[in-house]
Amino acid sequence: MTTQGHGRGAKGQGERRAVQMLRLLTLVTASIASIVSVAGGQQQRVATRDTARVLSYPIPPAGRLVAITNATIMTASNGTIPKGTIVIRDGKIAAVGANVAIPAGAQVIDGNGKFVIPGIVDAHSHSAAEAINEGTQSITAQVRMEDVLRQDALGLYRELAGGVTTLNILHGSANTIGGQNATVKVRWGLPADSLLFQGAPPGIKFALGENVRQTNRTILPGQERRYPRTRMGVEELLRDAFTRAQEYRREWQEYERGRKTVKRGQAAAVPPKRDLQLDALVEVLEGKRLVHCHSYRADEILMMLQVAKDFGFRVASFQHVLEGYKVADEIAAAGSGASTFADNWAYKLEAFDAIPHNAALMAERGVRVSINSDSDERARRLYQEAAKAMHYGGVSEEEALRMITLHPAWQLGVDKRVGSIEVGKDADLAIFNGHPFAPASRVEMTLIDGRVFFDRATAPTLEYLMELIRQKQGPRQVTEVVP
Amino acid sequence: MKGFRLRIADCGVLAVAMIAGTSTAQNAVRPAQRAPAQSAILIRNATIVPVTGPRIPNGTLVIRGDRIEALGPNVTAPADARVIDGTGLFVYPGMIDGGTQLGLTEIGSVPGGEDTQEVGDFNPHNVALTAVNPHSELIPVTRVNGVTTAITSAEGGLISGQAGLIDLMGWTPAEMAVRRQAAMVVSYPSLGGGGFGGGGGGFGGQQRSESERREELDRRTRSLRSYFADAKAYSDMKGRVATAGGVRKANQAMEAMAPIVRGEIPVIFDVTTADQIRGVLALADTFGIKVVLRGAREAWRLADTLAMRKIPVIVGPLTSVPGADDPYDMTYANPGVLARAGVKIAFQTSDAANSRNLPYNAALAVAYGLDADAALRALTINAAEIFGVADRYGSLAPGKVANVMVTTGDPMDVRSVVRHLFIRGQPVPLDDRHTRLYEQFRARPRAQ
Repeated sequence: MTTQGHGRGAKGQGERRAVQMLRLLTLVTASIASIVSVAGGQQQRVATRDTARVLSYPIPPAGRLVAITNATIMTASNGTIPKGTIVIRDGKIAAVGANVAIPAGAQVIDGNGKFVIPGIVDAHSHSAAEAINEGTQSITAQVRMEDVLRQDALGLYRELAGGVTTLNILHGSANTIGGQNATVKVRWGLPADSLLFQGAPPGIKFALGENVRQTNRTILPGQERRYPRTRMGVEELLRDAFTRAQEYRREWQEYERGRKTVKRGQAAAVPPKRDLQLDALVEVLEGKRLVHCHSYRADEILMMLQVAKDFGFRVASFQHVLEGYKVADEIAAAGSGASTFADNWAYKLEAFDAIPHNAALMAERGVRVSINSDSDERARRLYQEAAKAMHYGGVSEEEALRMITLHPAWQLGVDKRVGSIEVGKDADLAIFNGHPFAPASRVEMTLIDGRVFFDRATAPTLEYLMELIRQKQGPRQVTEVVP
Repeated sequence: MKGFRLRIADCGVLAVAMIAGTSTAQNAVRPAQRAPAQSAILIRNATIVPVTGPRIPNGTLVIRGDRIEALGPNVTAPADARVIDGTGLFVYPGMIDGGTQLGLTEIGSVPGGEDTQEVGDFNPHNVALTAVNPHSELIPVTRVNGVTTAITSAEGGLISGQAGLIDLMGWTPAEMAVRRQAAMVVSYPSLGGGGFGGGGGGFGGQQRSESERREELDRRTRSLRSYFADAKAYSDMKGRVATAGGVRKANQAMEAMAPIVRGEIPVIFDVTTADQIRGVLALADTFGIKVVLRGAREAWRLADTLAMRKIPVIVGPLTSVPGADDPYDMTYANPGVLARAGVKIAFQTSDAANSRNLPYNAALAVAYGLDADAALRALTINAAEIFGVADRYGSLAPGKVANVMVTTGDPMDVRSVVRHLFIRGQPVPLDDRHTRLYEQFRARPRAQ
């Protein structure tokens, strides 16, 4: 797709794309060198100064006034507008509808024949994270994803190319309590701080089942097994952690009370020792931090719900939740969301009762369901994954769309900002060349806050690489002929 | 819309399973697979997509026994036919997955069910069909999405073993076999450590220096070449000894290699990079091997060469990320480049649990430049041609094996579903582990 109104000529675009391609090539060469392996097979990327320098390329300017015209607009909240216009002002959706006037001076994106959907929200991602698990202890509520984000992670760019605009970047599932999440917007290429979704409520990753028990881990000679080894142990750890958090909160409350009532001349009480781990758990107890809980089996989901009930907090989302369909009523009654795979199964024992009808069945029982990726690969085609909820269990087209937009946004507590095409919301949009669930469709353009972060017309595609080789080395070298 | 007789039979199996007290004890192969009934099945008023011929709107297709008897716009209905009304539906040949581990794996993390990787680098004598479990829960899950036939094989090492071409139905491996020895599978050595999925390098390789890895690659490449040289010598010598009336001590592995170096059975080379493909071409030149490339996400670099040399490529899985220094859409766009250059392509999932997603791999290729009709051919007739069974498989034509699916639309469209399925002419119940669990828990009374 091309945009009009900013007067970028064809030559300018070509050059920009060449720069992008070269930049991409340089960048990735650097990242290959920086991929190291660590014990347990987890990948870890180490930042290098070089990558930061390579990244200093111009991101298109923020669209102060943009109009997407003549497009089929799938709002995710108020049906589909067959031939509509979206007006974006200062990064927010200012108008949407069939009869919306194009303001003078707007940058116009011709949406003729195109489909616009809300930017895709992936409620389970590990993109951009330089480290995933602090796997030395099973409770590590103190560690934070936002400390290890890389704005230049290739996964981010490729997700933009799949229409993804918001990610819930989580710790891995090595620990019962893994650490604090980072909700980000995929502002690839801007400084790492710009990734953070300002105003998104903080969250935390919990995990249950095989991974936490380290069931499938080879224990080396001389190495001791880490506690817990059973699902009972997982529950005990949770109850222990929250009991400690309650006591810690009480100590602080008593201290604060004492401080207020201290009389002149009296010695002030000594404050309790600050505990970063328990600080995060107190936020959970107070409903200020959302719990995203990796889970598989029905029994452990029920256990988590009971623990949450006993300690008075809500689980914002069960992640994976592959047997969620078995206890959908209980999940719905607790007001928890469910973020699941479309059809991934059988990769371990606890995934053997996973069914692709999970999303549909949970939705039927009143659970707000999202389809997530948990993978830089699946994240590229979440629209295809969402359509599987129609294939298995027959959810409606709009509900399937909500499973990758509005529902995950709700689970992350950002549904007032993103997840549907409505006036006042952030202009995070994905533009497809056809119906997003149709087989021949692909993403043409992705906008965040009204700013074009991906445009296939200027993207480093295979076709474009082949054209570069053709120009530089002659046509025979493109698809080289080896006699 | 199962026949009455079939439903009775289903109930029988369910009853047995309930008595046995386990839901997983149900045989993955259902009673529909009785000896072929000779009465005909007629599908009418459907849009028939034969793949090798033009679409027939409002057409009729007749199945008798295990074969397609007739199809066309004006087919006389046999008197004994069971009739399926195909109004609004589409009839396609069953799809063929060019690379799976179906039957050789059940639950990835449970070693007891894994027959996917043998010890050692050279296992040409290992025949996948030996270990294919016809009652795997993964098989019905795959076929209800219209994948009726698949290549299945072990992986790893250098020569992984012999791949079987199987229909996804049958009481025994032999019954499932379309070709017991469809191809030899070679995992062509790669530099490794070259980023994600860099061709089998593994993370262990990344800690070694580039020169160490190059040395290792050279060693493995030489090792593979010399194995083929041994096989050639063995085969030649065996011929000469036989001519002289003598007998030579047989070597199982070398016996298995003999038809390979005689070019009688194709070799699937699992590759990723253009370098690997060049290596395969050189190997093929030396030993006269019939080459099939698989994976091959960088095959676009040699598209014209592969077209000229008529080397087919089984692309996929497209559900993988390109290398770190590749264009973002390379895995998606590669099939289109190959097909436009005239290369015969098919698709693989390289999976077992999600081999059912085969058509959605093709959809991604269509979105990034592959012609939709070419994609459909790749899913059906091309794969049949690559494995030498196009006379029986891969399209709807009189006399061909009746692997037929009746769908609500384009099988590459995720929103389409399969309404009727026939494998070797037998109606296949559209249920599996997943639909059973779905129905079971859909019926759960509301929790208080």
